[in-house]
Amino acid sequence: MSVSIDIEEVVKKYGNDIIINGLSLRVEPGEFFTLLGPSGCGKTTLLRMIIGFNSIEGGIIKVDGRVINDIPTNNRNMGMVFQNYAIFPHMSVKDNVAFGLKMRKIPQSEIDKQVDEILKIVKIDHLKDRMPVKLSGGQQQRVALARAIVIHPEVLLMDEPLSNLDAKLRVEMRNAIKSIQRQINITTVYVTHDQEEALAISDRIAIMHNGVIQQIDSPKNIYQRPANTFVSTFIGLSNIIDAQIVKNEDCKTVISFKNGYRVDMKNISHEAESGQKVLVSVRPEEFLINTSGEGLKAIIKSSVFLGLTTHYFVQLEDGQDIQVIQDRDEQDIIPDNTPIILTVQPQKINVFNHENKTTLIRGGIK
Amino acid sequence: MNYAGEKRFTIWTSFSLVILAIFTIFIIYPLVLVLCKSVIDPQSGDFTMNYLTKFFTRKFYWSTLVNSFQVTICATLLAAALGLPMAYVMRSVKIKGSGLLDILIVISYLSPPFIGAYAWIQMLGRNGVVTNWINTIFGINFDGIYGFAGIVLVFTLQSFPLVYMYVSGALKNLDNSLNEAAESLGCSGFERITKIIVPLVMPTLLASSLLIFMRVFADFGTPMLIGEGFKTIPVLIYTQFMSEVGGDDGFAAALCVIVIMMTIMIFLAQRFFANRNTYAMTALKPMVAQKVTGVKNMLSHAFIYLVVGLAILPQVVVIYTSFLKSNGGQVFTEGFALQSYQATLFSKDNDVIWNTYMLGLVSISIIVVLGILISYLTVRKKSSLNSALDIITMFPYIIPGSVLGISFLFAFNNPPLLLSGTALILIISFAIRRMPYTIRSSTAIIGQISPSMEEAAISLGASEMKSFTKVTVPMMMPGVLAGAIMSWVTVISELSSSIILYTNSTQTLTVSIYTEVIRGNYGNASAYSTILTITSIVSLLLFFKLTGKRDISI
Repeated sequence: MSVSIDIEEVVKKYGNDIIINGLSLRVEPGEFFTLLGPSGCGKTTLLRMIIGFNSIEGGIIKVDGRVINDIPTNNRNMGMVFQNYAIFPHMSVKDNVAFGLKMRKIPQSEIDKQVDEILKIVKIDHLKDRMPVKLSGGQQQRVALARAIVIHPEVLLMDEPLSNLDAKLRVEMRNAIKSIQRQINITTVYVTHDQEEALAISDRIAIMHNGVIQQIDSPKNIYQRPANTFVSTFIGLSNIIDAQIVKNEDCKTVISFKNGYRVDMKNISHEAESGQKVLVSVRPEEFLINTSGEGLKAIIKSSVFLGLTTHYFVQLEDGQDIQVIQDRDEQDIIPDNTPIILTVQPQKINVFNHENKTTLIRGGIK
Repeated sequence: MNYAGEKRFTIWTSFSLVILAIFTIFIIYPLVLVLCKSVIDPQSGDFTMNYLTKFFTRKFYWSTLVNSFQVTICATLLAAALGLPMAYVMRSVKIKGSGLLDILIVISYLSPPFIGAYAWIQMLGRNGVVTNWINTIFGINFDGIYGFAGIVLVFTLQSFPLVYMYVSGALKNLDNSLNEAAESLGCSGFERITKIIVPLVMPTLLASSLLIFMRVFADFGTPMLIGEGFKTIPVLIYTQFMSEVGGDDGFAAALCVIVIMMTIMIFLAQRFFANRNTYAMTALKPMVAQKVTGVKNMLSHAFIYLVVGLAILPQVVVIYTSFLKSNGGQVFTEGFALQSYQATLFSKDNDVIWNTYMLGLVSISIIVVLGILISYLTVRKKSSLNSALDIITMFPYIIPGSVLGISFLFAFNNPPLLLSGTALILIISFAIRRMPYTIRSSTAIIGQISPSMEEAAISLGASEMKSFTKVTVPMMMPGVLAGAIMSWVTVISELSSSIILYTNSTQTLTVSIYTEVIRGNYGNASAYSTILTITSIVSLLLFFKLTGKRDISI
């Protein structure tokens, strides 16, 4: 029942500006697939190419194996939820939701039945006869969603649908969207610039930057094994520290930091050469703070207590500023200007090629 | 705190009271007087319904009301039917020279309707150029478009720009995602226009249509010139009052009362529809005019060019005529000459232009000062007194010019307020009639200025008055001036009250155009009209420059 989407080598140009140049990806049937990236990365452009509001200057897009490049939007059978919802202000909730069905010349009794059904699913059946102006943001969002899925589209497209909601409602709605998507098992492409939202809602995420896909993977892999330094710094916080690969006599690979602190690594790719310069990416919460022993020497500059965690702003001995996060139950808050020793956990850190910024962790990229 | 509160009370309240007094004297009092005259027998001083019955029992009189409604309804419907597709095509299809077309449309709207009337007479009148062609080519005896058809033609072409401007503005606030949503749900092409676009602009369309209705209903010059036997009620008022001055004031007053009742009803209807215009749309991504090709492109261009061409044609004819050589009177001889300009601009004892500018500028100064104060009071100092002010200051908007003129003559013909025949009475009537434009645009801009601006000024040690004059007023200026230019353009093209209030020494451009047309001296009339048109265009360009916008709201 659910369909796949294949995007093959698509090109988007505005005049002479090439926005997307030969991008390919595949969305699996029934998958919740998210395009994530900073604004201007081309994610919305790609979404609008899928639905047909943007022309395709090269390559093909296939839905369920059929090429859709030349099918007009109104025949593509895709549902779309717009950033500003695009609820028709002159129609009641019921009429908004029924609109697409009426366009498909479905008998009125059937329309009533389907509208009732979908309004129950999105939990606004009690608002059926309201006008849009009397709806809250979350309710409008639900109308937009109901209107898009009631037509039984093959594909559901969502363009930053939660960006106009307040933080609490955003969390509520993203859970609602996720569960509704599961319930009706529809292939969904979702655009957002909110990484937390993307991690929470997606089966897989494509990270985009400057029209190029940086990484496509599950939320967990994206966070834990970023393909390059862009992904590692875009998703969550990462401290990037210079270091060097050293291969021992017994062929063990070791990362050597500037001050001589060495960490044995078991998952470095074989292509890494001894003496190669690398960038080590360490999440703030992955540091361990010690008072003695081997590690990166540093001084605590200041700290912020956030209840669940404590953030330390720390300066390494070469002057680089980094951040460290500790769980609250680790210890008392360490006073400013305390010298500390930071150690890293070899199984958690990521190592990138200094030149092309891509990962040197085995199995890091799929 | 108490002291500051006390102080504010006196300053602003006294402003409110003074303005209220001005409007009471110059609008409430004359209108009440008209109402009294219409129901009181001047001899006995008793209440009488004679005047009103006289109107409704004689066909000669009441048929004018029927006529008025006929032309008004026809012209309004046609204007809406023209303005709506114009706006949609201009917003959705890329039309070559659309910037210039927009300006031409505004110009055709801003020129006084009666100029359109006499230009059309020159083309399609009894001896018009086009009439003669038609008669020679088809060998028929077409007698020109006078009466109903002529009036409707002139009013339609004169009024559709208002619908166009309003609907165009509404379309600009329509987010393109609504179109896209409709399309993604399987609705496109013509169906999308009827299901989405038209319903969404419907309130705007109704509101603007009613504005046109009011304007056309109250207009006096057009039916006077091109109506011939087809009399509308403003024409009746004018002829009754002019021929029976000193005689039957009571009947003229009764006519005024009837017209005021009608316009109030239309105004309330307009308000009702305008208030329902609350789809509250704001477009993040407005519709963009797309380049289309083939037949659709050709038809779009042909339609727009034809309509704009017809709308601006009277102006072109007028300017052309102003350069024609004549025998100094009504007959044009071959060739071109500047003699019309010599006769109008440089003849001695000719103060017409000076009068127009002087009266206009004095009126505008009054309008600007009072407009700023009124809008400030009604927005920032909300009180029951200022709500009353808000209502009263919009009053002149719904009173037809000829009614205002007559009521002024009733009210200010005797000491202590002997104003009739002076320039002052014209200035007051201009200022009162055209103030609503400035008030509205000033009110709009105050709404955008945060009150914390003034609070900041006061916290830094400025007095209330200082913070008003040094902070608020300068920030309001763009909006005020935009409104003032609109007021100015409408002041200089005003005819219906000045034709009643003017004397030889206070004759204005529009009055001169009108009298020259009546005399049949089209050359001189055209020269005056051209000067008026140029003034309007320059003012309009100033307006565009000042607001940085290409659309006006009236």
